[in-house]
Amino acid sequence: MKDDVIIKTITRIMLPFIQIFGLYVIAHGELGPGGGFQGGVIIGSSIILLALVWGSAEARDRFSQRFNDILNSVGALIYTGIGAVCVIFGGFFLEYGKLPFHSPEEGNHLGMFGIEIGVGITVAAVMATIFFEMSKKYDD
Amino acid sequence: MMIEFIAGKYNYWMASVLMMIGFYAIISKHNLIKKIIGINIFQTSVFLFYISIAKISGGTAPIIWEEATKYDNPLPHVLILTAIVVSVSTTAVALALVIKIYKSFGSIEEDEIRSMSVEETANRAAK
Repeated sequence: MKDDVIIKTITRIMLPFIQIFGLYVIAHGELGPGGGFQGGVIIGSSIILLALVWGSAEARDRFSQRFNDILNSVGALIYTGIGAVCVIFGGFFLEYGKLPFHSPEEGNHLGMFGIEIGVGITVAAVMATIFFEMSKKYDD
Repeated sequence: MMIEFIAGKYNYWMASVLMMIGFYAIISKHNLIKKIIGINIFQTSVFLFYISIAKISGGTAPIIWEEATKYDNPLPHVLILTAIVVSVSTTAVALALVIKIYKSFGSIEEDEIRSMSVEETANRAAK
């Protein structure tokens, strides 16, 4: 599959749109269908598509192991960090209304959006990790 | 104020301590079964945390009856019901992987398995 011009070209055209759609699903999750899990899986599947078409080594050049491991933890840190900030400002864990914005409504919107971003980052990185770890031995 | 902040949220500290015990087991133990036990302790701490923040003092089960005036929040309980099922299935998958690892390496100690697989790839490269 590595020399197939059609698959490579189509993948090159599709990848940015897949990732933009994943970001749209994450950003839209607060008000409509979607959310961090679904959008994260879409972004993770774009990385898996890259690895399927160009091979694991090429995909690891573009999405390095180190960057992937950092993203794994950063998403969880954003989630628990927003929850802990709510506790520090006198609310309960994940009580967004207490976040230091102008009004509780704004805190609700931005807090929920931040949580979705954190979940999305972790899910995308974990999907990529599972794929690369499972395909490691059989690649060569 | 500070005492109130610490004592009023004692379930937060209990869940944090339990979570750190599980996290310690995950990162410091070399035995894979002990790692799985650590993952389970970690997950249980999250369950206890979510269930405890849904409890209202004096609240009852969310069923309409005469004496009930306050109800516990049922949403985190339902969320955790799903999470318990996920936890059991991840444990089952992890144990199945450990059995596979034991059959092919004859050990469940992580450092021994790592040195064995490094030797194996070196041998394959030499050939």
